[in-house]
Amino acid sequence: MAADSGVVPTGRAGRVPGEGSMWFFVLGDFWIFSCYFACYVHDRAQSPESYLAGQQLLSQGTGVLNTIILLTSSLFVALGVQAARASDIDVARRFVTLGGACGILFMLIKAWEWSTKIIAGFPAGTEDFFLYYFMFTGLHVLHVCLGLLILVLVWRELRKDRPRPMFVETGGTYWHMVDALWIAIFALLYLVR
Amino acid sequence: MNESVLNLGAAPGERVAAVPVVRNPKLDQWICYWSIPFFYVLFGLIFVLLARIMPPQSPTSSAADIVAYMQSPTLRWGIALLALTLGLASMASGIIVVQMQRMKGLSAALPYSYLAALAVAGVPGCLFPCFVFALGGLRPEYSPEIQVMLYDLGFLSFVGSLGVFTIQYLVFAIAIFLDERQIFPKWLGYLTIWALVTEIVAVPVWVTRTGPFAWDGLLSFWLGTAIFVGWEFLMCVCLYRAIKNQPIEELEHHGG
Repeated sequence: MAADSGVVPTGRAGRVPGEGSMWFFVLGDFWIFSCYFACYVHDRAQSPESYLAGQQLLSQGTGVLNTIILLTSSLFVALGVQAARASDIDVARRFVTLGGACGILFMLIKAWEWSTKIIAGFPAGTEDFFLYYFMFTGLHVLHVCLGLLILVLVWRELRKDRPRPMFVETGGTYWHMVDALWIAIFALLYLVR
Repeated sequence: MNESVLNLGAAPGERVAAVPVVRNPKLDQWICYWSIPFFYVLFGLIFVLLARIMPPQSPTSSAADIVAYMQSPTLRWGIALLALTLGLASMASGIIVVQMQRMKGLSAALPYSYLAALAVAGVPGCLFPCFVFALGGLRPEYSPEIQVMLYDLGFLSFVGSLGVFTIQYLVFAIAIFLDERQIFPKWLGYLTIWALVTEIVAVPVWVTRTGPFAWDGLLSFWLGTAIFVGWEFLMCVCLYRAIKNQPIEELEHHGG
């Protein structure tokens, strides 16, 4: 949510961008993921060595690359929302396309990362860490898939004669949430020592 | 109710003469609707108090504990009660599908998928585990190894029957988002997506027996159940409003 209110200027003060029902989803999703994260942190504290051993098998470089890609996609979507508000529809559509392309790139890198982990196998003792790794990143990729679907709907909306900026904002709100969730997952799985 | 008087007034004359009873034209829907809280109270009584299937027993229990659980006297009575009343769940599906069919801008494909998914889901998610537990309970002379197997089979089927429920949630969410009439509010669609996600989080029950992803785990069972209970409650609230707000004219061609 910080990403959304920070990146997209709302124009008028005191207005929440996008539909209220989407914000219900965003806040609830953050709440549910907080439960997942709390559970992870708790379990990690029980056997820090084994989690650290698993963590060291992840490539931080890949994590950073994926973070940059998602942040860039968020920027594109935010610029798209801005262009849609300014009724600059062609530009908006182009930015949304770029944002979606970054999302696809993110998933391709994730798939490659998963496959290398599965082929290499997991050393004894790191199973718990990798179970969390696959569940968290898997759930996140599911959110990315849903986000791509939403971006396609936004793109279609932008082909209409008079697209509703509200619809574009709602899609943008969701996409920024996907980005924010990834940053939390990245920090927890790749960075926390 | 004055609604029913209105309805009968608008019906063809000879039919009013043939059916002079003034009744609530939504009576059938309300009967199905109130079966839901009735069923879930019964369901809670059976699963939590009598059979103690919820919260699930531990997947790492010792063979002696498992045999003791299978022989607990209330288990068989709970399951007998469930075997008798599980069909009530179909009334809930019926009323939800009727309200889904009022949605505008979509065919009957999604309501039918919802109905079919739930019809299948009741078997692995409820009936099969109960048969398995009842089997273990009914014959104490089974060796402990067999009791352990029945126990694992029962709980895996109960917590691990995921795919049909995910599709049930998915078609319901899609229907809400596509509906141009907003029979159900959009936020219920988002809530339904969380319910779907919690089913996905339970996938590792097939792989691991310990930790938060085991079948009695914090994430696969407790968080999922908390969200399911919230979903079911808010679903009932939205369903109540959908039935209440249904214009009486919509019912006339059903013969009122």
